[in-house]
Amino acid sequence: MRLTLDRRRFLGTAAASAAAATLPFRTRAATPFTMQAAWINDAEFAGYFIAIDEGYYGAEGLDMTYLSGGPDVIPESTIIAGRADLALTTPDTTIKAIVDQGAPFKIIGAQYQKNPIGIVSLASNPINEPKDLIGKTLAVPPVNVISVNAMLALNGIDPADVNIVPYAYDPTPLIQGEIDASLDFTTNVPYTISQQGVEATSFLLYDFGFTIYNDTVVVTEETLATKRAELVSWLRASRKGWDENFKDPNLWPPKWKDTWFAGTGRTIENEIFFNNAQQPLMESPAGFMAMTEEGIEANLRALSEVGINGTREMFDTTLLEEI
Amino acid sequence: MAAEPKGHWRGLRNAAVLLLIWEVVGRLDLVAGGALPGFSEIVIRLYEDWGDYPRHIWATVYASTLGFLIGNAFGIGAGVIFAMSPTMLRLFRGVNIAVFALPPIAIAPILVLTLSGMAPRIALAALGVYFVTMTATVIGLSQADTRATDVIRAYGGSRWDALRLVRFRGALPSILAGLRVAAPNAVLGAILAEFGGGGRWGLGAYLLGSLGRGEPDRLWGIGLVATLIAGLSYAGFALLASRTLGATRAVTLNTAVPETDTGNRSLAVRIALTLGTIALPFIMWWGFIKLTGVPDLISKTPWGVVQYLFLGPTAESAQSRLLAALAETLPITFVGMAAGLLFAFLLAISSRLFPRAIEAFLPVALVTQTMPLVALTPLLVLILGRGTSLTLWVTISVTFFPAFVTLAQGLALVPRSAEDVPRAYGASRWTEMRMVTLPASLPYLFAATRLTVPRALLGVMIAEWLATGKGLGNLLNQSRGFLDYGMIWTVAAVSVLLSVIFYQLVVIVEKRVLRRLGMATAE
Repeated sequence: MRLTLDRRRFLGTAAASAAAATLPFRTRAATPFTMQAAWINDAEFAGYFIAIDEGYYGAEGLDMTYLSGGPDVIPESTIIAGRADLALTTPDTTIKAIVDQGAPFKIIGAQYQKNPIGIVSLASNPINEPKDLIGKTLAVPPVNVISVNAMLALNGIDPADVNIVPYAYDPTPLIQGEIDASLDFTTNVPYTISQQGVEATSFLLYDFGFTIYNDTVVVTEETLATKRAELVSWLRASRKGWDENFKDPNLWPPKWKDTWFAGTGRTIENEIFFNNAQQPLMESPAGFMAMTEEGIEANLRALSEVGINGTREMFDTTLLEEI
Repeated sequence: MAAEPKGHWRGLRNAAVLLLIWEVVGRLDLVAGGALPGFSEIVIRLYEDWGDYPRHIWATVYASTLGFLIGNAFGIGAGVIFAMSPTMLRLFRGVNIAVFALPPIAIAPILVLTLSGMAPRIALAALGVYFVTMTATVIGLSQADTRATDVIRAYGGSRWDALRLVRFRGALPSILAGLRVAAPNAVLGAILAEFGGGGRWGLGAYLLGSLGRGEPDRLWGIGLVATLIAGLSYAGFALLASRTLGATRAVTLNTAVPETDTGNRSLAVRIALTLGTIALPFIMWWGFIKLTGVPDLISKTPWGVVQYLFLGPTAESAQSRLLAALAETLPITFVGMAAGLLFAFLLAISSRLFPRAIEAFLPVALVTQTMPLVALTPLLVLILGRGTSLTLWVTISVTFFPAFVTLAQGLALVPRSAEDVPRAYGASRWTEMRMVTLPASLPYLFAATRLTVPRALLGVMIAEWLATGKGLGNLLNQSRGFLDYGMIWTVAAVSVLLSVIFYQLVVIVEKRVLRRLGMATAE
């Protein structure tokens, strides 16, 4: 253990001195910039890892600090507390906070054009559409109950007709048939389930009326006012990272075996599956991270159906235009 | 526990039998369709995954060690102050009970909100340590040999001299015993904060990443490593104690918040002290928020919670949600308290009546204390479903162990001569138990109740969070999805408050009953 640590430290020092050697050629000093991700390190954040590793942020003059997420981490809290400049969030949560509590947030970009959250079930006991959920047991992470209730309402289903239980991040109860379906990233869990020798099927909440983005890029109004140039730089470098990632979705995850994905407890094969599955959910004719007028309208419409009345002003597309 | 070699061999044999049963049951996928893997499967998986472990273990050990040191610095420092000044002890009683009773799962989200980086892990570890060490220090210091302190005083030594030269040395066995119990607490606290706090390294973080794979052997492997670290930290201090002191103490500690006699103070002073005792936890809460400097929107002061619950625009909805959650949580909590206590009680009696069977059960019991419950949930859900029985078993598993140890100790301390009387008249072991042993160990039953009752709420909230999706545990987690910071703080505050109330009720009943029976509080 000590050996590897020392080697790591040595490599780190070597890399740092190599970076320092290039410093005199830079025209400006790097600005410290921190982003708060929505979850632990997985392929969901591949574009940012590339932009960090390949120096896209550095070239934009950003000295990036990347914070991983977790169950108790509310990404919005990190930017309110001033510990990060920018956070990746779920738009339903963010918009509800702006509406209900007057939280000073602006959405300046969107990673997923279609929210990857969906209903996953076994092919042997398939749930193919919201109506199939009636009378069934659905496991939902408590933080996502808001999304499920929205989808059910949009499809004219009384939430009381579905037995909703907490999802504790482990698909074992689904594989064993204790629950009929679970709510999770469709880019991820079907692979895990297939590894257990069982076939999974899934549908996106997006395809049944809950037309919202996910991993929306959220900043406070204050950051937007004071760090606008850095935010545009961040968007530009991140888009470049995602462009690079999807040139070959199989290429990057194996490279991070000993860095970004070291010790996450997940497999590289799982990340490759994830990276391929998320491509169609992220692509936009306007480029990665984009927010189109139709997209924003679809978000607002879906949310208003469930009583969250956001407005166009909560989204700021002008930074994307400056890329 | 018996130190004779015969006992050791028997323990080993029982453990081997147990492992063999586990192995067969696991290999044949007899439990919950294979959700319980065989022991060798877990070990093989641990070996395969070993490359991942060192950095996670290092992070967990680092955070828990720092938390352990900080918690103990506060614990011993406060213990010394409390032992010297009964007024301070009285004043901090509310704080001490709150720290003892607070349910970690309600506090972890608060710490992650207000602190950053490693700080939430260290804080949760320190919180798990403080009470145990503080209590051990106060007890150790107040049990000093008065003849020795008299010598110091006779030669003109100050109170500080007495403390330094006599009382501290005399307190060392007690403090070391405290550290022994505190060490595993630090490890468990750190892991809980790692699970939720979003860092990359630490067994809790590894557990979170591994959960999504649906591979129980990995989860059990992580659980066993956590158990091993907690166990080693306990054993390390046990060894230290026996080496330096040449004697070991009981495995439990006083569960009573040390009391002082306020009888001969004036009424006004007593009222002021009581008010101070109640106010101090809230002042410290307020101070913590001001110190961290986290904006009002996400961190709520006591007044902020009052505003949220009673004065704000959403007050009505907040109240009704809170009351609905309490209505779901409280009844099962009371049943859970009774069940946990009953289980511990039956176990303690059985350990007298069938010592061998219980000896074999103890290793299993120990594992349930350190195995992260989130790793066990799929197994529990598959066996027990998501109803009342699951909630009860989770609550029992969270509560019974400390109560069992206390009760077993109480039963063992009943005077032999008293037990000999019914035996001489040919009474059965059960009659002897009923007529002599149980009444004599009543103080320990109360001590065990004090331990069980605040923890019952923790057990129920864990079950609600992971399996049933009801009550306070669920409200806490749903509130995060709504960025409902007011509710997150309210649930944390209410759960601590309830645990303190449960504790205090037991203390009141205990005093009344024991006074009437002319018995002393068990330490």
